[in-house]
Amino acid sequence: MKIISTPEKLCKGHYLLHIECAEDCLPGQFVSFKLGRFTDPLIRRPFSIFNKNGNDIEVVFKENGRVTSMLKNMTDFSDVDVSGPYGRGFTVTENENVLLIGGGVGNAPLHYLSKVLKTKNNSITFIYAARSQEFIYCGDRFCTESNEICYVTDDGSFGDKGFAADKLKSVIAKTKFSRAYICGPTIMMKSCAEILIKENIPLEVSLENYFGCGIGICSGCSVDTVDGKKRACVEGPVFDGSKLLWQYL
Amino acid sequence: MNLSVKIGSLTLKNPVTVASGTAGYGEELSAFYNLSEIGAVITKGLSLKPRPGNSGNRIIETPSGILNSIGLENVGIEKFLSQKLPFLEKQNATIIANAAGHSIEENVELCRILSAEKKIHAIELNVSCPNVKEGGIAFGSDIQLMRKLLTEVREVCTLPLIVKLSPNVSDITQFALCAEECGADAVSAINTLVGMKIDIKRKTPHFNNKVAGLSGPAVRPIAVRMVYQIFEKVSIPILGLGGISNVEDALEFILAGARAISIGTMNLVYPVRAAEIAEGLSDYMTENGIDDINDLVGYAHSSGISPQ
Ligand SMILES: Cc1cc2nc3c(=O)[nH]c(=O)nc-3n(C[C@H](O)[C@H](O)[C@H](O)COP(=O)(O)OP(=O)(O)OC[C@H]3O[C@@H](n4cnc5c(N)ncnc54)[C@H](O)[C@@H]3O)c2cc1C
Ligand SMILES: Cc1cc2nc3c(=O)[nH]c(=O)nc-3n(C[C@H](O)[C@H](O)[C@H](O)COP(=O)(O)O)c2cc1C
Ligand code: FES
Repeated sequence: MKIISTPEKLCKGHYLLHIECAEDCLPGQFVSFKLGRFTDPLIRRPFSIFNKNGNDIEVVFKENGRVTSMLKNMTDFSDVDVSGPYGRGFTVTENENVLLIGGGVGNAPLHYLSKVLKTKNNSITFIYAARSQEFIYCGDRFCTESNEICYVTDDGSFGDKGFAADKLKSVIAKTKFSRAYICGPTIMMKSCAEILIKENIPLEVSLENYFGCGIGICSGCSVDTVDGKKRACVEGPVFDGSKLLWQYL
Repeated sequence: MNLSVKIGSLTLKNPVTVASGTAGYGEELSAFYNLSEIGAVITKGLSLKPRPGNSGNRIIETPSGILNSIGLENVGIEKFLSQKLPFLEKQNATIIANAAGHSIEENVELCRILSAEKKIHAIELNVSCPNVKEGGIAFGSDIQLMRKLLTEVREVCTLPLIVKLSPNVSDITQFALCAEECGADAVSAINTLVGMKIDIKRKTPHFNNKVAGLSGPAVRPIAVRMVYQIFEKVSIPILGLGGISNVEDALEFILAGARAISIGTMNLVYPVRAAEIAEGLSDYMTENGIDDINDLVGYAHSSGISPQ
């Protein structure tokens, strides 16, 4: 696996990369990057699969620290080691009315999910939440995969003003959903999960916590669930949202 | 050409092992190479009861290293024996079980149970654990306490016993000597160094436990120095580790006095690395006309210049 394009700026702080990958990838799975042949930066960084087309994977990354700020300016990727796909992905249902809720860069895995769900005859409603208009990326591409898309921004600069949870309340008041999928910042996932659990709507969430290895050997990514600690990199990153102990996340 | 080395009565087919806590129970690494290609697999630290480990942040990158506060999460000895050991055995791995009891009694019981298990080849005792019965001081940072622990453990431990030393002491050689006097078959050095990270946004320690263990290439020079010093003081074999990332690093430890070495943090980055280093050592010997890896052990001392 290797990176085959220079990062394309999508919107403020967000970039798109193409990766050559012959493996099958499920929505919700991730690939991991090790930058450079030396030991600083040291550990791998996980990134969700935004899209897969034949042997071409797309990844959207947000500038968030050391590796992502190095990555955005790179033109030679010969020393970037990409591995994966790893992790347990989303459940792909058929013929259902489903709700997808993404926050910020967390919308990325839901794009690939919506594409796959569409091929299985599901009806998709997408809540796309972001801080403001300048942080919204690939709006058109999300539109084509969903039956309905609702934008929400914290400041109301695009779509409705408010948080994902506010929009979620109004959407489920009008329509019945058999399942919801969420990926975004922890506070956003938590507030949405509370609402969905109360309404008895099955939900799957994709966590984006800090990983040490991404392959299950270090236990650095463990999260608390009703069934005890689970490693997010192998037993997740997608979890049944009703089984996570949200108070510890 | 001979790559095999001896740790007490145990023969490792080559000196390369994977370190406790960085290899799980071998299952995940076996997807990257055949576990029988390396000298041994050292398991996660085991306790009598399953341990959930620490809550909150558990790992963060530091310059050329990581800080971890996993808290010895493990499935417990019972589940290890019934569910994890059979897999390792099927892989034909040489298995070193790491015991991480939090009291003398727990460590004695762990070593007794593990010694009765035919498929386990050796025990590595992690003396960096706190002794919860006596104020939580680590066994490995108090000579009297460590002597008491090792004396009792040695009585029940019929397998080769490797004592994994803590580097968080002023003179690690005293602890290595203590282990030798108590009948240990080998010592391993080093465990993680106590470090800390402050989150400047939250203005609090990054880890709930406040302190955490530093490992990776950042600690390597300290580990090499400690292995070198221990080699001058004891005659039992040393299993050297701390930041080994490639064949050159492994050779540094061997020349400093390590009979065997462990790959730790680098397994997280390059899961196949231990197998590559085993192969690389063999290539190095061929290229340099070395017949027996044991000839290199401690070779750096023969120059006659010792530290201090
Ligand atoms: C399964 C999974 C999928 C993911 N998918 C994506 C994706 O598709 N796109 C994407 O952009 N990101 C994704 N992420 C997140 C991404 O992996 C991280 O943003 C990335 O690792 C950041 O690396 P970095 O070196 O740029 O940042 P780092 O420098 O490693 O910092 C990353 C974060 O670590 C924390 N941190 C670092 N240093 C400190 C400190 N000193 N004190 C306190 N906290 C600190 C902060 O939260 C910081 O934002 C995903 C994560 C997971 C687990
Ligand atoms: C994530 C992690 C977990 C560890 N868990 C254990 C453990 O359970 N028992 C133990 O004796 N050492 C443990 N260690 C220490 C390592 O085995 C090793 O001594 C140390 O990391 C130094 O080697 P390295 O720099 O190659 O990683 C752990 C280290 C890491 C990074
Ligand atoms: S990140 Fe190492 S076990 Fe999940």
